[in-house]
Amino acid sequence: MKKFKPNRLATSSRATYFGFTIIPVLLYTFFYVFSVINGIRYSFTNWDGMAQNYDFVGFKNYISLLKNPYFWNSMKTTLLYSVMLVVCVISISLTLAISLNSLKWFKTFTKSLFFVPAMIGGVTIALIWDQMYYRVVPVIGQALGIDWLSQSLLMTGKTALPAVVFVHAWQAVALPTIIFIAGLQQIPDEQYESAQIDGATLFKRFRYITLPYILPTVTINLVLIIKQGFTSFDFPYALTGGGPVRSTEVIGILIYNDAFKNLKFSTANAEACLLFVVVAIFSLTQLKLTSKRGND
Amino acid sequence: MKLKREGLGWRILRNILVLSGLILILCPLYLVVINSFKTLEEAGKNFFALPSSLNFTNFIELFSNSNYWVFLSNSLKITCISVGLILIFVPSLSYAIARNFNKKYYRSIYYYLLMGLFIPSQVIMLPVTKMMTGLNMLNHTGLIILYLAFSLTQGIFLFVNYIKGLPYEIEESAHIDGCNVFQTYVKIILPLVKPMIATLLIMDTLWIWNDFMLPLLMLNRSQDIWTLPLFQYNFKTEYSFNYTMAFTAYLMAMAPMLIIYCMGQKYIIKGLTAGSVKG
Repeated sequence: MKKFKPNRLATSSRATYFGFTIIPVLLYTFFYVFSVINGIRYSFTNWDGMAQNYDFVGFKNYISLLKNPYFWNSMKTTLLYSVMLVVCVISISLTLAISLNSLKWFKTFTKSLFFVPAMIGGVTIALIWDQMYYRVVPVIGQALGIDWLSQSLLMTGKTALPAVVFVHAWQAVALPTIIFIAGLQQIPDEQYESAQIDGATLFKRFRYITLPYILPTVTINLVLIIKQGFTSFDFPYALTGGGPVRSTEVIGILIYNDAFKNLKFSTANAEACLLFVVVAIFSLTQLKLTSKRGND
Repeated sequence: MKLKREGLGWRILRNILVLSGLILILCPLYLVVINSFKTLEEAGKNFFALPSSLNFTNFIELFSNSNYWVFLSNSLKITCISVGLILIFVPSLSYAIARNFNKKYYRSIYYYLLMGLFIPSQVIMLPVTKMMTGLNMLNHTGLIILYLAFSLTQGIFLFVNYIKGLPYEIEESAHIDGCNVFQTYVKIILPLVKPMIATLLIMDTLWIWNDFMLPLLMLNRSQDIWTLPLFQYNFKTEYSFNYTMAFTAYLMAMAPMLIIYCMGQKYIIKGLTAGSVKG
C-alpha cells in the first residue's frame, strides 16, 4: 500500500506539471518563435508585403542595406539617441536619487510625485510635449532672448533629436531613480559618519562609499535604458514621425516606414534582423554581467 | 547631530534640484489640466493662468462626439483579459518548471522561453502582423493572444527563480496530507508567490494599457476597436487646431491610471522596482 501511493501520485503529478506547460509553450512557439523565423525568412526574399508571390534573393537585401545611406543614417541616429538617453537618464536619476534620499521632509510624497511619469503612456507624453514644444518652450525662449529656443525645437534638424530624447528621458528617469534610492538605502549611515570624522570630502565620500554600494544598480539601470534607446518607437513616432529630414529617424521608425509605407517589407525585415544582432550581443553581455553579480 | 554636519551649500543645492525637477514634472501636467477646462479663446488669451471658471464644454464634447467610452472599454477589456490570462498561465508554468528543473524537458522550455530576452520587438512586429492578417485575427482576440504569448519570457524570468527559492518542506507536507499537485499549487504556492503576482500584475497592466505599437499594427483598421493610445494618436491630426480639446482627451486618457496610482502608489512603486531589478 505505502509503496503504491507515491507512485500513483507521481504519475498524476507528472501529468499536471506537463499540463501546466502545454498552452503557454504552444502559444509562444506559434506566435513568437514562428514569427521570428518568418521574419528572418522574409529578409532573404524580395517580398513587398502585398504581392502573392515572392522569390528568395539571398543576401541581396543585406548588401543593399549596407550600401544605403539612409540605413547608416538611421543607425547613427539610433546610437546617438541611445547615448544621449543613457547619459541624461543615468546622471539625472542618480543626482535625483541622492537628493531625494537625503530629504528630511515630504520624502515619500516627493518620491511618488517624481514617479508619476512612469504611469503615463509614451504616446500621451509625446503628444503633451508636442504641445509644450509648440506653445510653451518658444514663449520661454523669447522671454529669455535665446534664438534657438524661440521656435519649436522639433522643427529644426539640429534640435529635433535632443528634443525627442528629452521627452523620452522625462518619462524614463522615474524608474531608475527609485531603483537607485533602493540601492542607496542599503548603505549604513555609520560609514558616512566615520568618513566625515576622518575628514573625507563630499566627492571622496561619493567615490569611495556611495559608488561601490550602488554599482550593481547602475548596471541594472544601464541595461534597462540602453535597451529602451535601441528599440525606441513611440516617442519619435508621435513627436516627429522621423523628421525633419530624417533627423530623428531611429531604426524603429525606419523599419515601420519601410514595411508599411514604402512597400519594402523584406528590406524592413532585414533591418530588423540587423537590429536583432546588435540587441542580442548586448543582451548576452547583460546576462553575463547579471549572472556574475548573482554569484558574488 | 547629523543634520548639523551636512553642509548648508549641499542642502540648498539639493532643494533647488528637487524643486526644479518637480516643476519640470508637474508643469506640463498642470498645463494639461487647466487648459482642458478652457475654451480655445480663453486659452489663446492666457495659456498659463488658471481658468476663469470651470468650463466643462470640452469634456461634454469629448464624451458625446467621440467614442471615448468605446475606446475606454476596449482598453479596459483588452488589459483585464490579457493580464488575467497572464496571471493564470505564468505562475503555473513557472511552478512546473521550477519544481522539475532536473528534468530535461522543463529545463529546455525554460531556456527556450528565455530566448525572448534577446529579441527586440521590431523583429516580431512585421511577421506577426502578416501572420495575424492571414489568420484573420486583426481584432481584440488576436491582440490578447499576442500579449499573452509575448509576456511569457519576462514572466518566467521573474517567477521561476522566485519559486525555486521557496522552501520545499511545506509542499512536501501538503503532499503527505494527500494534496495533489494542482491542490498544492492553488493552496500553498499561489499564496506564497503573491508579491511576485503583484509585480507582474502592475508591470503587465502598465505595459498593455499604455502600449501603442501593437494596437497600431493590429487595430488601426476600424475606429470601433481602437484603444485609448490609438485614439489619442489619431486625435492629434483630427483636432490639431482645437488644442484645448486635445488636452481634455490627454487628461481623460491619463486619468484611469493616475487614479489607480493615487490609490496604491506604494505598492505600484514597490512592484515595478522589484520587477525591473530582477528583469
